[in-house]
Amino acid sequence: MRLRIIKAYFLKEMIELIRTKMIMMPYLMPLLIVILFGYGIKMQVTGVRTLILDNDNSQISRKMILKFEHSKYFTTTVKNMSEKDALREIKKANIDAIIIIPSSFEKNSLKGIKTEIGVFIDASFPSRSTTISNYIQGVVMDLANDFNINSSGMININTRNLFNQALRDEEMIVPGLIGMVLLISPAILTALIIAKEKEEGTIFNFYSSPVSKGEFLVAKLSAIFFLVSIAIFVIFLVASYLFDLPFRGSFFLFWLASEFYVFTALGFGLLVSIIASSQIVAIIVTLMLTIIPAFMYSGMIMPISSMSGDAFITAHIYPVMYYNHIIYDTFLIGQGFNSPTNISYLLLLFGYGIVLFLLGLLFLKKEIK
Amino acid sequence: MLEVKDLAVSHKKKIAIKNLNFKVDDGKILGFIGADGAGKSSALNAIAGVIKFDGEIIYNDFIYKSPKEAENIKLNIGYMPQGIGLVLYKTLTIKEHLDFFADIRDIKINKEFLEYKNHLLSMAGLEKFLDRRAGDLSGGMMQKLSLVCTMLHRPKLLILDEPTTGVDPLSRIELWEILEQSAKEFNTISIISTAYMGEASKMDDILLFDEGEIIARGNSEQLINEIKPFVYEKTTTDKKHITISDSTYCLENLEIQHQKPTLESLFFVNALKKDRLLPKLQIAKSKESIDKNIVVMKATKITKKFGDFYANRNVDCELKSGEILGLLGANGAGKTTFIKMLLGLLPLDGGELELFDKKIKDSDDRNGLKSQIGYVSQHFALYDDMTVRENMMFFASIHKIDTKKSVQLIDSYSKELGFEKYLDEMPKSLPLGINQRFSLAVSILHEPKVLFLDEPTSGVDAIARAQFWELLKELKNNRGISILITTHYMSEAEFCDRVVLLKDGEKIADDKVENFYKKFPNAKSFEEIFLEYYK
Repeated sequence: MRLRIIKAYFLKEMIELIRTKMIMMPYLMPLLIVILFGYGIKMQVTGVRTLILDNDNSQISRKMILKFEHSKYFTTTVKNMSEKDALREIKKANIDAIIIIPSSFEKNSLKGIKTEIGVFIDASFPSRSTTISNYIQGVVMDLANDFNINSSGMININTRNLFNQALRDEEMIVPGLIGMVLLISPAILTALIIAKEKEEGTIFNFYSSPVSKGEFLVAKLSAIFFLVSIAIFVIFLVASYLFDLPFRGSFFLFWLASEFYVFTALGFGLLVSIIASSQIVAIIVTLMLTIIPAFMYSGMIMPISSMSGDAFITAHIYPVMYYNHIIYDTFLIGQGFNSPTNISYLLLLFGYGIVLFLLGLLFLKKEIK
Repeated sequence: MLEVKDLAVSHKKKIAIKNLNFKVDDGKILGFIGADGAGKSSALNAIAGVIKFDGEIIYNDFIYKSPKEAENIKLNIGYMPQGIGLVLYKTLTIKEHLDFFADIRDIKINKEFLEYKNHLLSMAGLEKFLDRRAGDLSGGMMQKLSLVCTMLHRPKLLILDEPTTGVDPLSRIELWEILEQSAKEFNTISIISTAYMGEASKMDDILLFDEGEIIARGNSEQLINEIKPFVYEKTTTDKKHITISDSTYCLENLEIQHQKPTLESLFFVNALKKDRLLPKLQIAKSKESIDKNIVVMKATKITKKFGDFYANRNVDCELKSGEILGLLGANGAGKTTFIKMLLGLLPLDGGELELFDKKIKDSDDRNGLKSQIGYVSQHFALYDDMTVRENMMFFASIHKIDTKKSVQLIDSYSKELGFEKYLDEMPKSLPLGINQRFSLAVSILHEPKVLFLDEPTSGVDAIARAQFWELLKELKNNRGISILITTHYMSEAEFCDRVVLLKDGEKIADDKVENFYKKFPNAKSFEEIFLEYYK
């Protein structure tokens, strides 16, 4: 390993990245993804326009209306109108939900006779309507507790908001996005700068010179590694300040895990560049290999624990879920190095990177295919 | 000393080269010549240790049988693969290249190295452009820089794959000066492939490749002497023969005057020996009579600027019907820019253009004229994923030729231009020479009156080039098509009726070929005339 060769390639890479303006990629792309997705993906629902038809006008029904009015998830109006007119309103998309309290609601419920509250929800967006329905059930259950009414059949509140008491989407989505962008951008850049040499023919300088495979790879990868290492801090700042994310864990753990993770991402790019002979192929293959796992199998959209069969295995094959576990811990939980899972995942990421790098070293050939 | 024993290389089951055996002594220049696809590049790649091969290569007692084993002698090798500026990084400056190559070759930076480096730079005429990026250099300068970078570590074994292809005569002379000096001073072994036969005569030893084998060996004098009995003046005969431009090649004795052969003749004699007779290419005469005095294109003081740089400056040029006009110039002289302006691919920055007596001000003026113009670009604009036939059908439909007629046209042109048996193959799998003829067929499908050809013969081997020129003459004589062609093969100027010389974007000469020779009675070839102008 001769430092001079690594320095030469490193400098050359930097000059090329700066002059081709590619240097913006490790910064601009992650920022764009984090900002667009971070603001774009909204699963929580606030300000549901709710119309309440109170046919009972009792103590309990008024209490219920009060509870809806005090919730930030609902914007309520109470009106005296027929069910038919109310349904017309929902059709015009003026309101999102109707709650109809039947006339003898208080009497029946206190007597223990089964009563029904009528709920109509605009289900144009099914996931949104499910959420609204859950919220309404929550409020009603809360009310039932207040009046000691047996509320069997009520559904438990989603367990996912355990560490996200405010139910803020940002806290679910943004850490996951960090895992996504720190995989995609280093992988693409690595694949690109090697495929570019192949496409343009400058790879012959490596083929025909005594530069060793190890030197070539270390030199190429270190340039990207350096750039993305800076990006880690930029992304951290964006998450903390722009999205107001809490940070409850160890920053050192966050940083170390991120560097190891970037190292595995470089390995992905490296392996792709060995197959790809043009830049366009390198980009497409890397995107396919990274985006879907980083999105679907990362625990960001769907918890890994609720996956089964192939999906569960796939999620464990990719490095994303291990990194995301640590990221969620450092941002939201804060167990840090006390958690054996965190430490084992950290080592796993490092091992993953080493294996990919060694595979790259093995498959890279100093000859024309 | 370098010795190659039973070398064989294959690409995806196709044999590129087999049973290659030769020896070269220190300080000698060995030339590889042959048609494209003959296996020259494969042999060079194998010797440079960048491709898998069978057999063994012995360099000064060190034997290697695979790229991996070759690793140990890469210190001594300087390899420049085929392609203009291929090994250069387009955004790096000349100085940055020199630093980079010095670093990756781990060259000790001392007074001696700096002197050597500056010597190379001044020989290549690059010392004034140290801060210019490689992407902004002309083709000739790129090749000179590549050579300097390749020689920076003083390789003992220099392997160059067509270093001068696409390079203008002036730069070629400079490149050769560097090479010859290095061979003499450092006792370097140089192995060089070339498409210019003029260069082959400067080599100590030449290997002629054909279909992956060496078919002739010797210095240029020996090779020429060998084929002397088979070269005659142009004639017709019943015996097996090839007649092209002014010569007839025949293996049997003809009772007529012999002609002095050139190295190019080697290829024709070899084709005869291998019984690969060239199909007679002939284009049917058009029924209309040909009027010779119409001015097809008239450019007055045409100018094109890119920033502060004049790509063309006040160029006057006229093309008459039934005329072949050659546009010659060094790399970066503005040939391609000029053709692009004629075609309307680039707007004019000054001057006037008339096509078929119609003043061209904007793109609307070109409507209706497009059917009169045919164009073949430097990199044949064909679709790689469609067969030759599909490509032709596609281009025919672009020109709104109905299907029945296009089928007929494809049938007749493929016969006339001799690519009939390749109709259902993909362009990529065909030799460059075939692609070139088929591009020509595409460009004349709509029966244009004028053809613009931008370096159509670049990288094409001697036989295909000769055939291509025969075709152009046929087009001129039988169809009355006017042809404007750019080329950097100075020998091709002889086939033109008139030649326009461009230098740094300006016209420096415009005359009939015979008048050029009258002006320079001592010139033996057009290349020498060209150099007179460029000095």
